This record gives sequence, C-alpha cells and structure tokens, in this order.
Amino acid sequence: MMNFIRISARNLLRNKMRTALTILGASVAIIAFVMLRTTLSAWSVAADYAAKDRIATRHKVSFVITVPKNYVDQIRGVPGIKSATYAIWFGGKNPKKPEQFFATMAWDVPSMLEVYNELVLPPDQKQAFLADKQGAIIGDVLARQLGLKVGDRFTLQGSIYPGDWPLNISGIYSAASKAVDRSSLFFHYSYVNDSLPPDRQDQVGWIASRIDDAGRGPAISAAIDQMFDVKDIQTATMSERAMNLSFMGMISSLLKALDVISIIILFIMLMILGNTIAMGVRERTREYGVLRAIGFQPSSIAWFVIGEAAVTGFVSGLVGLALSYPIVELGLGRALEENQGSWFPYFRIDIKTYAMGMVLAMVLALAASILPARSAFRLQVTDALRRLA
Amino acid sequence: MSTESPIVSLKEIRKTFFRGKEPVSVLDGLSLNIAAGSFEALMGPSGSGKSTLLNLIAGLDRPTAGTAIVAGENIGKMSDGDLAKFRSRNIGFIFQAYNLMPVLTAQENVELPLLLHNLSGAERKKRAQTALRVVGLEDRSHHYPRQLSGGQEQRVAIARAIVNDPTIIVADEPTGDLDRKSADEILNLMDRLNKEFKKTILMVTHDPAAAERAAVTHKLDKGQLK
Repeated sequence: MMNFIRISARNLLRNKMRTALTILGASVAIIAFVMLRTTLSAWSVAADYAAKDRIATRHKVSFVITVPKNYVDQIRGVPGIKSATYAIWFGGKNPKKPEQFFATMAWDVPSMLEVYNELVLPPDQKQAFLADKQGAIIGDVLARQLGLKVGDRFTLQGSIYPGDWPLNISGIYSAASKAVDRSSLFFHYSYVNDSLPPDRQDQVGWIASRIDDAGRGPAISAAIDQMFDVKDIQTATMSERAMNLSFMGMISSLLKALDVISIIILFIMLMILGNTIAMGVRERTREYGVLRAIGFQPSSIAWFVIGEAAVTGFVSGLVGLALSYPIVELGLGRALEENQGSWFPYFRIDIKTYAMGMVLAMVLALAASILPARSAFRLQVTDALRRLA
Repeated sequence: MSTESPIVSLKEIRKTFFRGKEPVSVLDGLSLNIAAGSFEALMGPSGSGKSTLLNLIAGLDRPTAGTAIVAGENIGKMSDGDLAKFRSRNIGFIFQAYNLMPVLTAQENVELPLLLHNLSGAERKKRAQTALRVVGLEDRSHHYPRQLSGGQEQRVAIARAIVNDPTIIVADEPTGDLDRKSADEILNLMDRLNKEFKKTILMVTHDPAAAERAAVTHKLDKGQLK
C-alpha cells in the first residue's frame, strides 16, 4: 500500500548517511533526556516510596538543629502513635577513603528496627546488633564496596562528632522497599551519646514515628507540633515523604539546573531535526512542484513534510529509548546503585520517562517540521518546477 | 483531427511578471484555439513565452488579463485548490527532465496521480500496469528510475501523464534530454497517444524534428503568435 507515510519513509532513505546521523543525533538527545529525567526521579524515589504510615518530627527551623531526646517519650504518648524512634546524623567517613560518601546515622536501635521494619536483617545478626553497643549494620551495597562482612571491625572517622569510632559489623541488611538506601551504615545512638560531654548529650536530629492510621497523618502531626508550641524548642512534624523532600531541598538548585539542561537538550534535538527537514524540503522543491502540477493540494505537500518528520521522530524515539535501556538500566544505573547508593538507591528508567521520551520525540519532530512544511505549502508550482534539482 | 469546438480557447491573454518593481510583459494579448484531439507544437526562441503559455493552459498559473477556457472551464478565475483539482482531472504532464520520484518504482510513480482519486490499491495498480503496457514498460514496473535509461524514464513519465485519462497532455521539451533514437521513440509514442487514444497534445519544443510530428505548429515571439 502506497500512502503518504510510506513515501515519507522512502524519502528518508534517500540520503541514508544524513538520515542515520540525524536519527543518531536525535537519539543521543533522547538518551541524555532519559538519563537526566531518571536522575531526577532517582533522587526523589525515596520520597515517592516513603511509608505512608510514618511521620517525622524535627526542629521547626531546620533538620540540622537538634531537639531534646525527651520529646520522644512525649510523642509516644500522642494518640495514634504506635511506636517512635530517633536518630542523629553522624556524618562519618571511611578514613581509608574519605572522599567516598555514604550515610552514617546513629539510631536508638531497638525502636528503629520496629519503626523501620522494611530493613531485612537475619535474626542472628539482629540479635548481635541489639546486644553490642559498638555494633553496626551496613547495607549490602555498601558492604560490597567496602569489602566488609559480618564480624569485621570497621573504624568510622567522625566529622560532626570528631574522633575515631571503632565499630563491629553485626549484620548486613537488605531492603524490602525501594525507599531504603542499601548503602548506609547504622549504629547505636547510645554509643555516640554516652561519649559526648554532658552539655551535648540527649539531643536527637529527628524522631520517626509509626502511626495507626495513614489517613490521620496530618492530624497527628498537628497534635505533636501543638504539644511543643509552648516549649522553647518547637517542632515541625511531617509525613516521611515531606521529610525526604526537605532533605532534597538542599539540592533543589541542582535539580532545577538538571531540569533546565533537559529542556536545552530537547531544543538541540529540535534544531537538528528542523535543519534536516528543511534541507530535505530544499532539495525536493522540484519534486514537490511536480506533485503540485499533477494535482496534489498544497496541504498534501505539507503533509509529506510532516509525515517525514513524524517518521524521523518516531524512529529517533525508538532508537533513543532502545539504547537508553542498556545504557541506563544495565550500565550506568547498576553502577550508580552500587557506588552511589546513598544518592541513587534505585536508578531505573520509569515507564513515564519512556512514554515522555517517545511523545517528546514525536512532538518535537512535528514542531521542527512546521516551518519547512509551511514553506512547502507556500511553494508556487511554476517556481518549484524551474528550480534545479 | 477533430473539428469539434476547441478544447483550449484563449482570448486576449496577457501575462506580466514583476522583476522587483518593474513589470515584464511575457504574453501580450495572445489568442489561441486548440481543437480537441489535435497534436500541436509551440516553438519559439528562449524567452518568447512558450513555457508561460503552456503553464497557463495547464492551469499551473493564471493570466494577468484575458480569458482562458480549458476543457470547458474558465481556469483564469480558479483558486489554487480548484486549479489543482482541475489539473488532476484534465491535465497530463510530460517534463523535459522526466521528474520521476527517485524513491518510487516505475509502477509507484505512475500510481501517484491516482492517489488523488478514491480508488482501491488494486484498482490503482491495475490502471498503472495498463499505462505502463501502453508505453511498453510493463516488464520494468518494479524498477527504480535510476535503473532505467533516459528514454525509459520519459516513457514512465508518459505513463504517469496518461494514467488518469486526462483531457489534454502538455509536454515541455519532452525530448530535450534524449538522444535522437530515444527522442524518436518518445515522439512515436506521443503520436500513438494522439492517433490511437485521441489525446489532445500540446508540446513545447525547440527541436524542428519534434515539431514536424505535430499537425499544427504555433510560433511564438515576444509574447505573440506569429
């Protein structure tokens, strides 16, 4: 069957090298777009997968300011709270490789294992962790990177809490949820707290609570904050998702920059496609003149151009997405999950990103064809026929 | 040759182009009748207005003044869209440079004008094969233009021109790019289309040998018939 799309597709094969380079260029833009969108979504994955029945309480001003530990017991007494735990951000480093970032937090371990029940830890390792004040558990991804196994000794170098902090690796955890970072290190709050001078003791960074009804999260949060409104130190209680997003707020400028870059990439793609389509129209002016002469309407000629752009966009989208899968899912994604798990616990292409990539490839190709299609539409037959091929 | 009322009737046709702001008169009060079923040639020096006249008759352009009745329709007043429909119904084109679409086979090139009509794929194919048989190229239907000689390409172009069963065939220097032998084959074919299929043919040519095939030769100079 011969139709506009088929002729448009054939026209694309006329200059195979140029078409291949155009499709490759546009595909690279699609790959870059997919990578950036995946980076953005990977950063927010912890927020997206946050437990709906968990809320977090922090200092009203910022999560970098601590609140008194005794707030935990008061929160446990608020109706609707099933259990509560607390932690401080330790900010430790591996002294052998100080440039490597991974999250280190000191938790009240018994309550933490209750509130964060998506941490998967063998029972014997859990018991060992509970029993040992210097015990630590480490995510399986980080364990592989650091070459640590259960029973090893590992020394953390403190920055917020200076000094060397020897730890016993009691267990290696994995996760039942995509939100859990598998490249973190957790150890006992009491280990840090007991080592601090009295004036710095019994302070916590945030309090995480399980609630009995996810739908009552806002009301319970309000009740907690109201309780501390009359105190010297007020709190801000929010859903776990909001808490995670507030962490991300620190890098919001970077995220915005990535967003802008992804738009710039799309404009580059638009220009690549527009240039190729315009060249094609110029070269085929005489043929369009012939088509007009034998009775094709100006709109039909414009449709030839648009059809060619649509085929280019479709193929570019397909190629770009087909190449994105191995690059992002099998290559870059795995590497980032393994090596930068704190930032990218789950670096996979979202189905929405695939759909967006395909739709954008088509929409941009069609947008790129508007001006060339307009000039093809306006061709005067006699002028077009006079034009040398 | 038919003696019926003319299929082309031009009265006091003027065509003026503008070079910048300066008007250039190409056709200057030209009148011409062409009888249905005739084979007529237009000759004249370069710039005499041959191609402009052919374009007006074929509905590719409109006169600045005068009346142009072709196949019973006043084409001087038609919109671009109506002119396109008029051409698809009434005109078959043969160009000097063949102007086949290089990405389509001979068969597909011949089918092109039929895309404008509500025909099934099978019907298009049948008509295109018939047209290719008339020009003696049914065995080359799946060849691309680059796989054909110049003479064969022009025969495919002729098949494309006749596939719609047009009222008039206009040919602009149809043998201009061909050697003598191929040119004679094309002229024989056009002669056959005129005599056997009763097609009205109007041909612009510089070639006296080609013009000899026409029953009537009009000589044009400075926008006027001599």
